[in-house]
Parts: sequence; structure tokens; C-alpha cells
Amino acid sequence: MEQQLHNLKNQALAQIMCASSKEELENMRITYLGRKGQINLVTERLKNVGQEERKVLGRLVNDTKTALEYALRTRQQELHHVSKKEWFDPTVPGIMPQIGHLHLVTQAIDEIAGIFEKIGFVRVRYPEVEWDWFAFEALNMPKDHPARDEWETFFVDASPSPKYGNMVLTPHTSSGQVREMERVKTPPIRMINIAKCYRRQSDNTHAPMFHQFEGLVIDEGINITHLKGTIDYFAKQFYDSGRDHGPTAVSRIRPFHFMFTEPSFEVDFSCVHCEGRGCRFCKSGWHEVGGAGMVHPNVLKAGGIDPKKYSGFAFGWGVERAQLLKPGIELDDLRTLYSTDLRYLKQF
Amino acid sequence: MDILIPDNWLRIYLKTKAKPEDLQKYLSLCGPSMERIHKGKTGPVYAIEITTNRVDSASVYGIAREAAAILPQFKIAAELQPIQINSAQKLAKKVDYLEAEVDPNLCKRFTCILVKSVKITPSPKWMQERLEDVGLRPINNVVDITNFLMHELGQPLHTFDYDKIKSAKMILRASLKGENITTLDGKKHILPGGDIVIEDGSGKLIDLAGIMGGNASAIDENTQNVLLFVQHYNPLAIRHTSMKLAHRTKATALFERDLDPENVIPTIRRGIDLLVELAQGKPEEKILDIYPKPYKEKKVSVPVDFINSRLGIKVTTQEVVSILHTLGFICHSGERTRLQNQTDPGQARMTKQTSQDDIVIADIPSYRANDVSIPEDIVEEVARIYGYHNLPSQIMAGALPQSLPQSPFEFEQKVKQTLLALGGIEVYTLSLVSKDETPTNSLKLKNPLGADSEYLRQSLVPSLKYVVGNNTREKDPYHIFEMANVYTPKKGDLPKEKMLLVGMFSQDFPYRKAKGVVEALLKELRVQALPKLKRLEDENLWYYEYETRALQKEAALSPSHQPIPKYPSQVEDMTIILPNGTYLGEVIQKIIKVNPQIKSVDLANTYQDTQTLRIEYQHPEKTLTDREVAFLRNKVIKLLTSLSASIK
Repeated sequence: MEQQLHNLKNQALAQIMCASSKEELENMRITYLGRKGQINLVTERLKNVGQEERKVLGRLVNDTKTALEYALRTRQQELHHVSKKEWFDPTVPGIMPQIGHLHLVTQAIDEIAGIFEKIGFVRVRYPEVEWDWFAFEALNMPKDHPARDEWETFFVDASPSPKYGNMVLTPHTSSGQVREMERVKTPPIRMINIAKCYRRQSDNTHAPMFHQFEGLVIDEGINITHLKGTIDYFAKQFYDSGRDHGPTAVSRIRPFHFMFTEPSFEVDFSCVHCEGRGCRFCKSGWHEVGGAGMVHPNVLKAGGIDPKKYSGFAFGWGVERAQLLKPGIELDDLRTLYSTDLRYLKQF
Repeated sequence: MDILIPDNWLRIYLKTKAKPEDLQKYLSLCGPSMERIHKGKTGPVYAIEITTNRVDSASVYGIAREAAAILPQFKIAAELQPIQINSAQKLAKKVDYLEAEVDPNLCKRFTCILVKSVKITPSPKWMQERLEDVGLRPINNVVDITNFLMHELGQPLHTFDYDKIKSAKMILRASLKGENITTLDGKKHILPGGDIVIEDGSGKLIDLAGIMGGNASAIDENTQNVLLFVQHYNPLAIRHTSMKLAHRTKATALFERDLDPENVIPTIRRGIDLLVELAQGKPEEKILDIYPKPYKEKKVSVPVDFINSRLGIKVTTQEVVSILHTLGFICHSGERTRLQNQTDPGQARMTKQTSQDDIVIADIPSYRANDVSIPEDIVEEVARIYGYHNLPSQIMAGALPQSLPQSPFEFEQKVKQTLLALGGIEVYTLSLVSKDETPTNSLKLKNPLGADSEYLRQSLVPSLKYVVGNNTREKDPYHIFEMANVYTPKKGDLPKEKMLLVGMFSQDFPYRKAKGVVEALLKELRVQALPKLKRLEDENLWYYEYETRALQKEAALSPSHQPIPKYPSQVEDMTIILPNGTYLGEVIQKIIKVNPQIKSVDLANTYQDTQTLRIEYQHPEKTLTDREVAFLRNKVIKLLTSLSASIK
């Protein structure tokens, strides 16, 4: 009976393929799938076979039915097109499914996180509303120190902590350095902290709310060449990946000063537009992206880490700034990034 | 601090053939950052950024000193020229032209000299042009000399009209709260207290020291006798006053960075020379110099292997010594002396043990005393002059840290990626909002940028509502979302930062589609929960709001597999009319609960007040017979009847 069913199926399929009119197809449907059609005749006979066999055959009957229904439908559509002999226009515009848009800052953050995670950095998050101690004092910046002027800090109108001082909106991701040391306790540390920061300034190159990414590496024997290597790796990944001529982006470090690192550096990346030759975007072939340095022993001490045994480096840069240095995104005003005009947002 | 240095002024102190472009390039690599070169009246002018620790280089002479150390590293000869001084006046603790009482906590070094019979005239053209090139307005020879020298040597100077200090007496002390003084610019200041002031002995204040001179003792066109004044002031006191009075000048910026007290004498001597040369002044024979605690040379010792451990390369002791030497550090190299603690019961004995490792002991020049105090500072000096660009690059080896427990980032990224696929448009809005956009207990800023950004928000809804309001021109329905922290105040502690996900649909977004978006999101996140849409009644806006941490806790970590049913299901449509006020969602839930063999109930269609439900019956182990389906159907009908639904 199984064989019979297979034959029946093959025969029916062959006939359906050859059918040349709708009427013919309808006849076949009645012949095979009608109430008194061939399939149902087989089904009738199932009553007489054993339970085990019936199970197998029952499934086969269902499969055959499905296959024939599908063949009938397909052939019907084919006949429909053939009969109309319609002229088909493949140049008609497509209908795009609605897809969304992730914000440029999110895209940058995801990319940055991915690049550092590949070399073993652990992404963390620390408070955006922070104590003065973590934002400044633990970073070797005593109260009233002129170095603090660089950070236009927002202060929260709340009673200060007896231990940690004033409440501030964190002006940089560096506030996470000592928190990370306290969390990990014993190095190795490879931290990447990407977060919202706030500064009391609003102009073409500053928004009061912005994002930074902070790297912190602490272990035995960490030195300046490791900082250079990490920065170079990032520059190549972030600015070159996917370009067909291979990595050309390079980085350099220059002397600078931060209270919480010693030595301290300013970090430049070669201009992506001119590959460092100098053009109207970069003037010198380089773009400043932010600061870096070897972690100051006082900061290690504040985080409970022995500066005699361990050393480390840290860097903290603006997400927006790093993203705006990529080709294709030319904004005269950094604040435009935070426009909520859908015509702007839909471009990304 | 940004300063301007004209090239031709620099070359008075720096003998070199380096081109301005080379100076810019090499100084930026190893020293202060020369941001730009622009054209001035005297030739090229460098715009230089001075970091807060390097106030010693915030002058023409200071930059020359840096350049003389850096250029030779690039094989360009450069030599620092000494400051030319003719003045040979003696330094004296007492002078007959002025009686001075000085608080040594406020003024580390107090110097002045009386210069008589000066002729107030315009300063010569070369001086005027240089001043203009550094952004200063020429006034007259005496005032210009003080500005000129402040720029040349990095030490502010002041001048008084000697004849206006009637008592020939000065008391330098801390001000009392509420004392007042009228300064040169004619402004009257009520002092906060603790400011450095000078009174004339009668209680009258004649100088707001380091900030601005008093009006009553100022130089004018009739001045004949000038008291030239050069001091070292307490940096904290200067900073305190200049911040409180919001009066920030070049001089305050210099003073508050703690200047070199040893630089005071060359400055006053140059001042005397210039007053003689340009104003035909006749100086007294003694310079009053009150300097109770002279600078004591500071030493820092560093093992050379420590320097190498931070540099990641090997430099020789000779290289270290020669680099430090070019920067003005006098070095003594020697062998390291180790003190070893021997455990001897009852008595800890110290024994000396020498090792072969080299150690460098550097005498810190007075102008670097504040900046260089630990071995890491020496590392920086060696490394930058050696050249960071000459160090190799490598990624560190070593053990990798453990991953963060319950890391939120992958989940948050998945939420965003899912919403992206579902057509959502992500926005970032400012976490700082106005008073009427947030509950009254919200945290407030002490120094907001404006009333519209005075409070830390506790909800994202008002911000998204604002975005919708700003996009009224949008023709098609849309869905926006944001993921951001909100800040819930906590007594005596930092606020709780809660990461929220909020999405909002435009008014013309069909409700069922909006709900479907949230259903799809939860399904993709493997969260078993019913979608919750909330409504802003006035605006007719639907939105959803989730705490991402809570969602993450609900989400199954990995997908689970259900075998595909072996037996076909039976599907049938049932069209019903529900009485007014009956919730369809609840009806569907009730139908599903009638029997486990009712696999699913969907809304297939609605037409006017009729609703067509598509019901799927399925048994896991067999194909349901017509009779069995009829049995289930009857149960559903019975339920619907009990809910007063009519069935068509």
C-alpha cells in the first residue's frame, strides 16, 4: 500500500505539472483530493491495516496531500501569469521594510567596546553622579588645586559626604579608576569604562552632556610601550577596519600634564582624510583625541594598590570626538550630534 | 594656560638656526604644545599651551630654556643665552626709603626698589610691537616695562607712585572680611577676607596684592618716583581672592601656580635696567629683599632600572645624566645603597649593602621644584627628551582579568539591536531637565547652565514627549526610544542610578502594531511577560517603560527548544460579538485556559463590532478527530456564552 501511495503521488504530480488550463487543474483536484478522490479512497482502506502500519501510512497520506495541494497552487499561479502574458517591469522601486536607526553615539560605543574587549579589557560602569573624592581627590587633585579648573564641574545641591566630600556630576570617566581598583583589589586590571559625563560648557566643540571612554591597565611591569601599543591598536581598528588599503592610521603621544598620571601624554591620531600628510581638516596631519598617562603612584595608593609592585597606564577620550574624526561625518557643531530631529537621526 | 611668544623675542634668549616650523614640530613632540604659528608685527608668533605644572615655561625665557634642551635631540644646535643684567644694587633687609612689615605666610619673598625721577613717555616701538604681538596694549614706558618683563621672565611686577604712599610704610597682611579697596580700574571691591593686601600704616589699603593695584597709588602721567615691586605670593591666597572676585588675569594665573622665588631677583634687576634705559630713572643703591626662608636645593634619587622599567627600553646612566643636564638638573650618579632589615630577636639591626645598580641623584633647579619631586617625575623628563616617538609599541602580555559578574552591556546591546530591527529610532536626550519636567524631590544642580537644565531627571517620558512635539512635520508613523540612567535621590548617599528603556510611538502609530513591537521585543529577549503599554492621555501617546536590569533578570539566558508537533493541528475561525466593555485580551486568556489542547488563539480579523478568533487545536500525540474538536469547540462556546458573547 505504501508503494501504491508513492505511485499515486508521482502520477498526480506529473499530471499537475503538465496541466495547461484552470479547468484541467480543477479536475485533477477533484480526482485526487476530492471527497471521493483517490487519496480518500486510500484513507478508507487504512481502517483495515494494523495499528503500527496505520500510523506510518497515515503520515504518508498527509504528506502526499500537502505535496499535491502545493503543486496545484503553484501550477495555478504559473498558469495565471502565462495566461495574462503580462509585461513585467523589474525597474519598479522596491518597498523597503521599516528598519530603525541606532544613534551615532551608540554605534561608536559598541564599536569601541568591541575593539577593547578583543584584547581582554572588561567593560564596566560607574556612577554618573559621583563624589568629589572619586572625581578629583583620589586622582591626586586636592581641593582648590588650579588643575581642577580644566573640569567645568556641575555641583549637586545635596549635603556633602563626611568621607567623600561634595556631590558632583562626573566630569570624566577617570572617576571610575579608583572604583575599579577597589572592585578588583588585586591586578591584573584591564578596564574599559564608557559612560556619560557632564561639564558646564556648551559651544561648538562641547556639549554639557557627552561620553568618554576610559582605559585602565594595571599589572606588574606595565610601561609606556604598552600604552603606545594599545593606543596604536585602537587607532588602526577604529579608523582603518574595512578599508581596502590596509591599516595606515598611526598614533603618537606628546608630553602633557594631568595630576593623576606621571608621565602624562596628549594623544594624537593621524588624520584619516589625508593619512597624515596635512589637509584642511587637520592642518598638521594629526588630530588630538585626548589624554593618557602612566597612573600616578598616589592614585594607585588611593585605590589600595601597591605602587612598588604594580604600575599601570590610563587614557580617557571623548566618544563624540573620536567618532567625528571618522570620514563622512562632518559636523561644525558637536552639539548637532544630539539633535532629536528625525530627519537627522534617520541618516544613521 | 595659553601664551603667545614672538619668534624674534625668543631668539634673543635662544641661539639657533632652527626654522619656526621645526621649533613648532619638535617642541610639540617633546615639550610644550605649539598649537599654531601666526603672523605678528615682529614676525612669526607661536601660540603655546602651557600645562598647569610647567609655569616655569610660561615665558619667553622659559620656552627658550625648553627649546635649548629639545632641539639638540633632533640634531639642531641650540644654545640658551643668559639674561643680561647691569644692575648691581645690593640686596638689603632694610632700606631707608621704605619701612615694610611682611607676613611670611602670605609672601615668601618681598622685594622692591625706589627709582627716582622717571620720565613717563610712550615706550619704544620695538617694545610696543612685541607687546602688541602678545595681545597687550602699550600704555606708557613704566607700565609697559612691567608687562614686558612678566612676559619675558614669567614673574609679574608692579609699580607704585612712591609719592602717593605718604607714610613710606607698607604692611603686607591678610585682609579682614568686609574691608574695601578701589582698584586701578576704578572698581570698588568688598573683600571676602584672607586676601593679601598692603596697607600704608594708617589702615588704608593701597594694593590688592597679586590681583590688582590700588587706584590711590597708581602711576599716572605726573609720576616722578616709582616704587618697583616684585614678590612671591602665597598661591592659595591668590587663587582664593581671584576666584571670589572673579578677577582672573595673567598675573593671577602665574601667581596661583606657585612661582620660583629665585626668579624674583633677575626680574627686579631687569626692571631696574629698563627703567634706567627707557625712563631715565635713578635707582636707589639697595634693593629691599625680605626672604626669611631661602630656597633649599631639593634632590630626587632614581635608580636607572626604575626609569627603564617605566620606559620599557634600556637607556644608560650616561644618557639619563646628559638628558637631565640639558634641562638644568645637576646629577650625581652613584651606586645604590640598600638598607636591609635583619631580623635579630630583640634588636633590629640595619646593615648596609651595596649593589651594582646605578642610581641617579638629581638636584632639582628651583624653577622645577614644585613639579619634580618623585622618581616618576624624573622618568617623564628623561622619556620626553629621549622622545616618546622613539619608544616601541607593543600590547602587554600577562594574565587577563576576570569578566564582570552580571555584565549588563551585552543585554543592553541586544535590546537596542532588537529595537533597531523592529524599526525603532534611538534618541539621546539631556538628563538635565526643568523643574516642571520632574518630581519635586529630584536632585538639583548648584550651578546649572539654565533653568531648562536645572534638575536630574527621574523619568525619560517628558524628554521623549518633547522629542515627539518637535517632530510634528514627520509624515509617517514612527517609534522612538532611549536607554539612559535616571537618578532617584537617596538620603545621605549618591542617587540610585537606574537604567531605563523607554519607547514612544507617534500619535498615528496603530495601537496593535505598537503593542506588537513590544511583544516582539520581549519575545526576542526571551522574557516571559505580557507587554505593557502606557498612555499619556493628553497627547494620546503610547509608550513603554522598562528597567533594563529587571528585564535582564527575567530573560532566559539561552533559547530553549520545543519539538515540532508530529501531528497536524486543526484550525478554525470563530466570529463573535463581545458585550461593550469586555476586554478581548482577557477573553483570549480564558479560552486558552479551557483546555491544554487549545494551542493558540489569535485575533484573525475585526469588522465593525465583530471579532474573528482563529483557534488552533492540537494534541501532542495524535491527530484530533472531528468529534474531539467538536468537544473542545463546545467548551469554548460555553465559556463565551457565559461571558455574554454572541457567536455568529
